[in-house]
Amino acid sequence: MRIVKYLIVISLLFINSAFALIEIDITEGNREPLPVAITSFFYDEVDSIKLNEISKNLSEVVSADLERCGLFAAIDKDAFIQKNPAMHLRPRFEDWRLIKAQALVTGRLKLVDDDKLRVEFRLWDTLAEKEIEALVLITTTDNWRRISHMIADKVYERLTGEGGYFDTRILYVAESGPKNKRIKKLSIMDQDGANHRFLTSGKELVLTPRFNPVKQEITYLSYFKNLPRVYLLNIETGNQEVVGDFPGMTFAPRFSPDGSKIIMSLAKDGNSDIYVMELKSRVVTRLTTNSAIDTSPSYSPDGKKITFNSDRGGSQQIYVMDNDGRNQKRISSEGGIYATPVWSPRGDLIAFTKNFKGSYAIGVMRINGEGERLLTENWYQEAPSWSPNGRVLTFYRETPTNEAGQGHSSTLWSIDLTCFNERKIDTPEDGSDPSWSNLMQ
Amino acid sequence: MQFSIITSSLLHVGFIIFTILGLPIFNNPNVDIPPIIQVEILEITEQTNVPEISKREVEEKKIEEKKKDNVKINQPIMKPKIEKSDEKVKDPAPEEEIIKPETIAEKNIVNMPIRKPVLKKKDNFDELKIAELIDMAQDTKPIEDAKDEEYESLDSTETLSDKLTLSEEDAIRSQFLRCWSVPLGIKYDDSMVVKVKITLKQDGSLMKPPEVTDHQRMNKPSEKYFKVLAESALRAVRRCDPIKAPAADRYDKWKDMQLSFDPRELLR
Repeated sequence: MRIVKYLIVISLLFINSAFALIEIDITEGNREPLPVAITSFFYDEVDSIKLNEISKNLSEVVSADLERCGLFAAIDKDAFIQKNPAMHLRPRFEDWRLIKAQALVTGRLKLVDDDKLRVEFRLWDTLAEKEIEALVLITTTDNWRRISHMIADKVYERLTGEGGYFDTRILYVAESGPKNKRIKKLSIMDQDGANHRFLTSGKELVLTPRFNPVKQEITYLSYFKNLPRVYLLNIETGNQEVVGDFPGMTFAPRFSPDGSKIIMSLAKDGNSDIYVMELKSRVVTRLTTNSAIDTSPSYSPDGKKITFNSDRGGSQQIYVMDNDGRNQKRISSEGGIYATPVWSPRGDLIAFTKNFKGSYAIGVMRINGEGERLLTENWYQEAPSWSPNGRVLTFYRETPTNEAGQGHSSTLWSIDLTCFNERKIDTPEDGSDPSWSNLMQ
Repeated sequence: MQFSIITSSLLHVGFIIFTILGLPIFNNPNVDIPPIIQVEILEITEQTNVPEISKREVEEKKIEEKKKDNVKINQPIMKPKIEKSDEKVKDPAPEEEIIKPETIAEKNIVNMPIRKPVLKKKDNFDELKIAELIDMAQDTKPIEDAKDEEYESLDSTETLSDKLTLSEEDAIRSQFLRCWSVPLGIKYDDSMVVKVKITLKQDGSLMKPPEVTDHQRMNKPSEKYFKVLAESALRAVRRCDPIKAPAADRYDKWKDMQLSFDPRELLR
């Protein structure tokens, strides 16, 4: 009987080896940005006067967006071999492979009814020789820039699997004047710095502006009779209102993921705790009751957890609790002083500012506090804010004032988590406290 | 009468036990069959483009070099059971065929173990298992029978030649890793490994389009990261087309291949 068993086992072994396939593990790869060819969009000769400039600008904005994220490299247009409009129907893939393009963006512009702009775009996989994404958008001609961002988002999403973040805006505090008499204005711009505008005049000091994740609404802190108060501002209508009238000072307001609540810290009798306000009913609930300073709360994307910082353990550290204030526990453990924790929209990480050995770092850690990574270190920098896809952070950085009282500056920066690609965001004046919006609707 | 039967039975049983224990035919000699390990000595840099050595590996290398005086040669190669791939199990390797430490020292190949020359986990063919099975088979058959039947059918040359040599594998791997633009933005989990089956012509070009083994997963809306990874793997295969092929006389061995694209080290 045993002999039979062995024979069966040996026979099975032979069946297996008869179909044995050479298997090769590839665990390393090319980390260079993916080369993408972004062509100027074609248009009919009759529309050339109106569309010539748009075509050129549109492809430039798409290229700039994709390059800025650090994951793609736009191939120089001078290297293109195929230049005729036929490429939009069926590119000569071998021509594009020759210049090492792995993806190709083509498009066509057309003026339709009432001078509306019809934008047709296609994304091609030059190695698989097939179209992998296509989109038609119709808008007014002056809206070409948003269309460009939307195309860049589509390309990004299709090639990374992650949602894009180019059709977004950044809210921040514009700063000007000497350090002891700083003028601070609420400002907004596209994520690439375009379409900049000031939302407040600068008469009152403004701080910590934050976007509502679901509406064109912001919350921020402003001083009224030397007392900081939390305000709501609709950026479409300009309507502004005070959020409640609290006996103490309110700080660091931030919306819940569904936009229905504002979470903030409220200071009374020298003690600061976390509170949440239901915007509809204006009912306020206290979440922490510790005698230490609890501040900078931020919701997890599912709204079930809250991260905040507290000095209850002696030094300022990051804590996580349930949305009702239960199960509070410290997660930061690597030494140093932590501040401004912000939960990633993707839910997997918490970004923070860390003061350690005399410098300030922007970093991320997993939601259980493990896997801390410092992305950038500098003399002074803080207030990270996530892009809506959870892959990029924006923050602000200050330079010190010299002995002559000069040299101080405050600038906005972004850094991506994949390539640590750090970039300065140009603003007309100094900037601080950036907040990244969700994708525009 | 009863006494005689009991005495006779005991004597018979005793005789049978004595026979089993005493005669060599019933004894299990437990022949020590060495595991088959494929080894090839070559200058890796001339043949392949092995990925950059990690810091840890460099440190390990330094430690290894410090110990060199004591160890003299790399441990895995020192094992006396190493045989050349064309050796048969039933013909134990002659002494001179064993790669001696002195020979290797002369050739100054100190860093060979960067790639382990021993058994690979994922190979369908597991030499140790075969050795084990052969041992087990000997429990039930006389040695002579085992030699005549089992050993012949387990001809190691035939089985080993199903595999590529390490240098051939490395040469293929290095081509694909150059062609693979890893989608660095994707969210990684342990299941993010893409297996691509390819069939090659003799000149190393693709005979038919590469195929993702788990192509159904690619089409699931919840698996967008896997789709992106799988597409990047397919692009890598096409970008490398044609590959610099191994020896044509072994074409039937490398004609069909499965490539496992695993971005673990890059995305974690």
